[in-house]
Amino acid sequence: MRLLSLMNREVRTSKRELLTYALTIVLILVVNATFQAFFSRYNQGILLSSAYDELFSSFLMLGGFILTSLMFSKDMFSKDGQQEWLMLPATSLEKFLSKALLSAFAYPLALIALFFATSLVGEPLLLLFFKNPIQLFNPFVSEVGTLLVSYWVWQSVFLLGATYFHKAHFIKTVLAIGVIGISLGLLGMLFSKIVFSIKFGSSYDMFNTFIYFDSSVMESPVGGFKVLNVLGKIVYYVLLPVFCWITAYFRVEEVQATDAI
Amino acid sequence: MVKQTHTDVTALEQTDSVIHMQDIAFSYGKKKLFSHLHLDIKRGNIYGLLGKNGAGKTTLLKLLSGQLFPDEGNTSVLNFNPVERKPEMLSEIFYLPEEFPLPRMKAQEYLSMRSSFYPRFDHAMFERFCKDFELDMQDNLNEMSLGQKKKLLLSFGLASNTALLILDEPTNGLDIPSKKQFRQTVASAMTENRTFIISTHQVRDMENLIDPLLILHNGEVIFNDTVDTVTDHYSMSLVTTEPKVGEAVYVEKVLGGWMVLKTRDEDEQAQPLDLETLFNVIIENPNFMAGGVR
Repeated sequence: MRLLSLMNREVRTSKRELLTYALTIVLILVVNATFQAFFSRYNQGILLSSAYDELFSSFLMLGGFILTSLMFSKDMFSKDGQQEWLMLPATSLEKFLSKALLSAFAYPLALIALFFATSLVGEPLLLLFFKNPIQLFNPFVSEVGTLLVSYWVWQSVFLLGATYFHKAHFIKTVLAIGVIGISLGLLGMLFSKIVFSIKFGSSYDMFNTFIYFDSSVMESPVGGFKVLNVLGKIVYYVLLPVFCWITAYFRVEEVQATDAI
Repeated sequence: MVKQTHTDVTALEQTDSVIHMQDIAFSYGKKKLFSHLHLDIKRGNIYGLLGKNGAGKTTLLKLLSGQLFPDEGNTSVLNFNPVERKPEMLSEIFYLPEEFPLPRMKAQEYLSMRSSFYPRFDHAMFERFCKDFELDMQDNLNEMSLGQKKKLLLSFGLASNTALLILDEPTNGLDIPSKKQFRQTVASAMTENRTFIISTHQVRDMENLIDPLLILHNGEVIFNDTVDTVTDHYSMSLVTTEPKVGEAVYVEKVLGGWMVLKTRDEDEQAQPLDLETLFNVIIENPNFMAGGVR
């Protein structure tokens, strides 16, 4: 009940911003679809790829990550807003979940609904004016599912960034991901060099080996690669999001007035 | 969870102490604000928290409401540890800060959004307070003045029926009639099960409302007692000749003579003591003994 009240508060206090964002998405979709229909009509009916699919991934990923990054900004780190949030009669877990669940699940669902509704209204009009075949946004395709899974993984990282950094959450999270990525890459290279040196001798040129590496090995892995592939998937799809959510929750629990800037 | 709350509330009803702080140490970085702060607050009173600028009044209020964590020491608020910020405790505390933003929405919408968090929220009481303060619930919060917002939140806090109400500079931004209305409204909402802590510099606005007084000075609560205790022992008078050294506890040059605080003779009638002078007496005389904590 308290969780629902908190979620209600989140939506109500950001109502105007969310409506503006939704309106911007609709406008971009309409303009883009109109342009594509116009292009198609004067180019012997050649259709560009569906406008909705391309824009959906952009709005889901970029929009979702920015939204997630800003979720805790006012309530955790603003001198103005922090007091009310801290004093709200709810547990830290409920306060955390109200924001995390909205950005992880409500946002993609609302975006899918918005894309579908826009295509449902817009496509018949395009058919009427441009004789453009109806291309509804279909959320039940595997590409959307894959996108959603990736979104949930990376949303957790931005969720952690939102609770960890006191300001410029999105930029700092992107930079942190970059730094961690480069560091892990270098570590991986060092590890590979050591392993290959042990296996094939120090004169073995491992980098040339990788150039001829068949990528299908990773797609249908066998033997040691299979184990590595499974482990990698577990780390990426399970451990990383779980770690980020738990750490972000602990950050919420320990926040106090001195964190506000 | 429900059982624990019930136990806590029962325990709370059995004791008069609402807040107990012991050996509290707190610092902002390297700047130490409190080192061994002790504080006891009893139920059924309207406490006035006084102190110079930077004495740590707001910090103290934030420590006891769980917005700040002490470096050392124990705190018990309504039998809860405020650091844990349990919802059972938070639903019994309403904190009105000195400055606050309100979301862009109608007052009515704000009410329905927030009142559900307070189980004993009294809508009829809220409407009555809003009427007293001449607030229109159809007004947008962002179009209200600071004073109107304060009156709205004050009405909300009083109607929430929380056991502890913390008001930080509540009369800042209120016009003169509203200050009078504020005193009346706060007094009418007071019950023996509630405790109010009002931090203020505007002691004249709080005259006849706050008692006992808490005076925070140099990181300690140097006074925690009723005004009556002081008037039982001391009397204040205006004299035209300057008192000799040691003749009075406190002397202040005022228009028309000297305001003098002396030990009261047994047959002398107790005179009302204005809070501003009492504050100055206590701050300027660290050894002032009036049944206070020193």
